[in-house]
Amino acid sequence: MTIDELRARAAERQQTCSQIKKMIVSRLDLEIDPDWITDDQPLFGRGLELDSLDVLELYVAIEAEFGVALYDSEMAVFGSVSRLAEEVNPALRA
Amino acid sequence: MASVLASAHPQETVYGQVGDATVPLRFSSLDEEYKVLRERAAVLDLGGHGLIEITGPDAVAFAQRVLARDVEYLTSDRCMMTLLLDADGQVVDQVLAFGREDGILLESSCGAGARLLAHLRANNDEGVEIADRSGDLTVLGLEGPYAWGVVGRLIDGELASLPFESVVDTTWNGADIVFARTGFTGEYGYQMIVPIEHAADLWRQSLEHAQAAGQEALELAMLEVRQPIPRHEVTEGATVVEIGANWLVDVTKDEFVGREAVLAAFEAGGGRRTVGFSGGDGVPAPGTRVWVNGQDIGEVVHAVHSVGLGATLGLARVDHDLAAAGLELTVGGTEVTTLTSPYIVPKSWSIPII
Repeated sequence: MTIDELRARAAERQQTCSQIKKMIVSRLDLEIDPDWITDDQPLFGRGLELDSLDVLELYVAIEAEFGVALYDSEMAVFGSVSRLAEEVNPALRA
Repeated sequence: MASVLASAHPQETVYGQVGDATVPLRFSSLDEEYKVLRERAAVLDLGGHGLIEITGPDAVAFAQRVLARDVEYLTSDRCMMTLLLDADGQVVDQVLAFGREDGILLESSCGAGARLLAHLRANNDEGVEIADRSGDLTVLGLEGPYAWGVVGRLIDGELASLPFESVVDTTWNGADIVFARTGFTGEYGYQMIVPIEHAADLWRQSLEHAQAAGQEALELAMLEVRQPIPRHEVTEGATVVEIGANWLVDVTKDEFVGREAVLAAFEAGGGRRTVGFSGGDGVPAPGTRVWVNGQDIGEVVHAVHSVGLGATLGLARVDHDLAAAGLELTVGGTEVTTLTSPYIVPKSWSIPII
């Protein structure tokens, strides 16, 4: 793969991550720039310090924004923004 | 600084120098200790973490100015992880800040106590009392998917289910200890700050319910969940944004040392970002170049052999537009794949405390 093809692939993931960050900030009324959240930082406990009520809010938000229902998923899908990106955009796993 | 628990460690303990501390790297074997940490419950000698007490009328104001997260309302039943930065936004250390009735107690990262103390003293414009408590207190950790059970058998089952970053002043065998729900590895984690004269007894009693794990197993498990390890990841000139430690900095806070530099780096964009990778046969040294089709895009920050993955696991700092999971890159002469964090899913995420 050429470097430009790799950049395009990275951009696709970063775009999905960016969409997720904006959704999190908006739905949870966080006072930070969405880009301040990194793709790899933990979301629950450490990191963004979301709690179980936030998870419920995010389930609803993800289904509304991406059409993906994660209600029965393991907590691991919320391990990081990048991990969540693979759930809402399975093409990233390829 | 040697561990105050050295006399209680097994004879075959392998020690190593980490910053200003001599710490147990492993007590038996890395593989065994890692498995204990990820599958059962491990006892950790965290004596390499310096303990510094800040007291006086302006203690909170001082801490608020030098710490990168908001500690103004950090009550004595809470703790938080954050960074100390210099005026250029460079990371001085990553600390656990404990709210105390008469101020703040800071726990340094491993081997960084002396550097933290010097930084605090050099920035003491408020004239607060800064005392190194590492000579009379030490830290023991419990970590693992069943660490909560050890807490119940050792101290009090109710403490096991404290909310994350809660702190309780309690007693153990007549000694006053500070107990906190913390964790470095994504597993259930607890810390006990204990007077050194009681530390060996607590260590031995902990070993009746759990197995010891050394610094190597702890750092491997930290890397697997992208918990920053300052001694490996804080490299010369790297910004908070490049390190990926944004979550340890509260940019909504009005003022703290290094804030302007951090914001300038963030707003400038570009630069490099840190991404995990796996692959290859050997473990590349820090500084090994990362390539794409002959083009240099960055360097390895830190790499180890991951017991959990059965493969090399590392962090690379690469051009921001290539810092994403799922890419094939070349490290040295070996093909690797960039990863999505966490690289190992902690067992604790699917095990309830009962």
